[in-house]
Amino acid sequence: MKDEIDNRDERVANLKGLGCSRKRVEDARFTQGKGNYVDDIKLDGMLFGDFVRSPYAHARIKSIDTAAAMEVPGVLAVLTAADLEPLGLHWMPTLAGDKQMVLADGKVLFQGQEVAFVVAEDRFAAADGIELVEVEYEELPVIVDPFESLKSDVVLREDLDPKAPGAHGPRKHPNHIFTWEAGDKAPTEEVIANAEVVATESMYYHRTHPCPLETCGCVASMDKVNGKLTLWGTFQAPHAIRTVVSLISGIEEHNIRVISPDIGGGFGNKVGAYPGYVCSVVASIVTGKPVKWIEDRMDNLMTTAFARDYHMTGKISATKEGKITALHCHVTADHGGFDACADPTKFPAGFMNICTGSYDIPTAYLEVDGVYTNKAPGGVSYRCSFRVTEAVYFIERMIEVLAIELNMDAAELRRINFIKKEQFPYKAALGWEYDSGDYHTAWDKALKAVDYDGLRAEQAQRVADFKAGKTRKLMGIGLSFFTEIVGAGPVKNCDILGLGMFDSCEIRIHPTGSAIARLGTISQGQGHATTFAQILASEIGLPADSITIEEGDTDTAPYGLGTYGSRSTPVAGAATAMAGRKIRAKAQMIAAYLLEVHDNDVEFDVDRFVVKGAPERFKTMKEIAFAAYNQAIPGLEPGLEAVSYYDPPNMTYPFGAYVCVMDIDVDTGVPDIRRFYALDDCGTRINPMIIEGQIHGGLTEALAVALGQEIAYDDMGNVKTGTLMDFFLPTAWEVPNYETDFTVTPSPHHPIGAKGVGESPHVGGVPCFSNAVQDAFRPFGNRHTNMPHDHWRIWRTANELGLHD
Amino acid sequence: MELTDEILINAPKDRVYAALNDPEILRQCIPGCEELIKHSDTELEAKVVLKIGPVKARFTGQVQLDTTDAPDGFSLTGQGNGGAAGHAKGGADVTLIAQGDQTILRYDAKADIGGKLAQLGSRLIQSTAKKLAAKFFKSFADVLNEEPVA
Repeated sequence: MKDEIDNRDERVANLKGLGCSRKRVEDARFTQGKGNYVDDIKLDGMLFGDFVRSPYAHARIKSIDTAAAMEVPGVLAVLTAADLEPLGLHWMPTLAGDKQMVLADGKVLFQGQEVAFVVAEDRFAAADGIELVEVEYEELPVIVDPFESLKSDVVLREDLDPKAPGAHGPRKHPNHIFTWEAGDKAPTEEVIANAEVVATESMYYHRTHPCPLETCGCVASMDKVNGKLTLWGTFQAPHAIRTVVSLISGIEEHNIRVISPDIGGGFGNKVGAYPGYVCSVVASIVTGKPVKWIEDRMDNLMTTAFARDYHMTGKISATKEGKITALHCHVTADHGGFDACADPTKFPAGFMNICTGSYDIPTAYLEVDGVYTNKAPGGVSYRCSFRVTEAVYFIERMIEVLAIELNMDAAELRRINFIKKEQFPYKAALGWEYDSGDYHTAWDKALKAVDYDGLRAEQAQRVADFKAGKTRKLMGIGLSFFTEIVGAGPVKNCDILGLGMFDSCEIRIHPTGSAIARLGTISQGQGHATTFAQILASEIGLPADSITIEEGDTDTAPYGLGTYGSRSTPVAGAATAMAGRKIRAKAQMIAAYLLEVHDNDVEFDVDRFVVKGAPERFKTMKEIAFAAYNQAIPGLEPGLEAVSYYDPPNMTYPFGAYVCVMDIDVDTGVPDIRRFYALDDCGTRINPMIIEGQIHGGLTEALAVALGQEIAYDDMGNVKTGTLMDFFLPTAWEVPNYETDFTVTPSPHHPIGAKGVGESPHVGGVPCFSNAVQDAFRPFGNRHTNMPHDHWRIWRTANELGLHD
Repeated sequence: MELTDEILINAPKDRVYAALNDPEILRQCIPGCEELIKHSDTELEAKVVLKIGPVKARFTGQVQLDTTDAPDGFSLTGQGNGGAAGHAKGGADVTLIAQGDQTILRYDAKADIGGKLAQLGSRLIQSTAKKLAAKFFKSFADVLNEEPVA
């Protein structure tokens, strides 16, 4: 008996709870090719649908002739807007309060826009049918530049009343969508006008794409006998999709079952609702058979959910000593042909107003203008919380530019402006209340780890050698310190389509002491089945290995808003802990009954309840679980189940300090990342191994965006990067070795103190890579050059600075 | 996309000019040409099967000729539509310079390409277009060389 009491460490280890680098339970199936993705779903009589897409970026549709396509053997139907109109489904609402054509209604607004949906017995017949749909277009002038759009006489959205306000207030021009403001305009302008030092810079955060390995797709199956629609799909928010499908189709919500099976990466790409989903549902209703739609790579890159495309202009003022006094930011946001940005309703520019970053900036003002152009709609948060990458890139570039203006070291400039530990909770000038942080400790640890002063000395020597003709390689030291805002969010100010952004967990303990927990979120590779079981193991004292985590089936899982914006751990993770605590509360009563003491006389200890002061008297959670189904306990219902819907009181604010050391060949423009150090503080760490994996992945996507990945358009609105030949996806060849490190500053309001980490490395990584490139050229007069820093652009920077002369 | 080149053809200038206006010779020489109809001296219609990288499609095109400079050359403008594969519009200036019994043919072509074709990346299109042009003029020179001198 004594052994069992004393072996507390062993009992903790057996749970594989918080802090354990537990191996991912998902990987057994993924590494053996046994995952079950949407395209793996095969149903009897299943049909395949695919789109006729517009080759033009802006054109009027004069006619659509489907007769020849219908002659193709295997083609069963060709849907056009005219077919959807009687059902009211030719347009659909977007997440941003705008509406979007499901199939082209009279005109097309971007290249690749969905024009007709061919339904056939297999995908090959569908492809043959697509070739034969004859669409007559009349070309219209194309606008791919948002500044030009706001001056143009060409009205892109003829369906909108040009004088009427949009979903976010008045519009200044027929191609203008909204103006969104945060902070105080007049005081900010006044401080800047009277400041000792002001740095001004314009920067373009280029359009890019999340490009998950698995593209978007779905299978819709309407059972006409029982009236039930089942929709499998690559949905990051299955419950919200169910509600949206119900609202736009009129099918009662209880008759719709949405299932997200295994998902091969999301990164924001799979948050929104796409025409493919609507057309598949309609086609299944029309044909009475299941219909599958799966994007190919070009479809995915060209039409679903781009990210970024922010033209940002900043002014930052400071004293001569470098204390920042004010920040002014204006953004012209290119939203494409329809405003389909995936943001909480009240935030049309997401959380761009986190752009004061990690710094104590007393006065600030932000203004964002959303604009229509002839580009694909979208505007998702590619591996970040809503527009946080843009905000962090903006402030981390402004800091660098200010450092140049002040002729000061950029690390020191950051240090003297950080929000101090004792200032938390910190109310920022643009409205947010940062929950916790210890920036100075993290920064000092990072700079020490890389020997920052030594690096600067080496860099100075390199510059001297370069000028003396001894080397053709420059050295850049990229710094970035970021604060994220994740875990949306409090229902009082965060909703999507009116649905509050809470999340949920439902737990059932089985009689033999194992459990199933279902959540409103959905893993796309994050390892939820591993980490949520760990949260629960520590809360309820049953081993993580005895807990099944299930997500993504709306018929069984509790309602939740899904997985994006690093919200799973902050919101659903909190719900899991809270539901676990309800289980524990009931278990305490059962234990007290079994031990014949008062409820308050037992206390929880790892995996059991013990009588206070008598540790040899205990009941394990396993025993308690059986008792819940076995004993008639006065005043207690049988069973052991709990559900929690968690409305977070605030967002969480993870932060981190990154340093990148890069050598750049000025003659080829090729950067060589010699070192990358990433310190992350995500509060309580649930699974260090998974955190490390997340950081490696996020940094690699940051490298991609900073060094080459973009969705580029030519003047005719052609997507120039529609294949993986032109769209940069890094491989092992380009990826450096990453060093990871951490500090732990728990969130004070989260039940277990966790803040979320999946997106931090992307948010902090992009400015770090970019700053490294820019820093290499700083000694030669570089102030700012736009991303992506591909080899050609780096070469061009070197050339413009006269380094090839 | 822009293409500029010149080739030497073993035939006198007016024969070259005449051949360039002969729909049958053009049909033989244009790679993938299935049909070429001459609606008038200045209007042609063509059906051409083109394969560029993974995109293969039948293009229908209209061509307008401007013959004011005849027989020293001519200009043409046109547009072609390949449905889902994409579309193109553009033009070319062709100049003929006599060099004894031979003729130097110089061309300067410009095209704007849209749709799937354009998305495949300009490097593929540029090189394919160059290859197609070379193929055309090689066939064209061969046809003229074979024709018995009248």
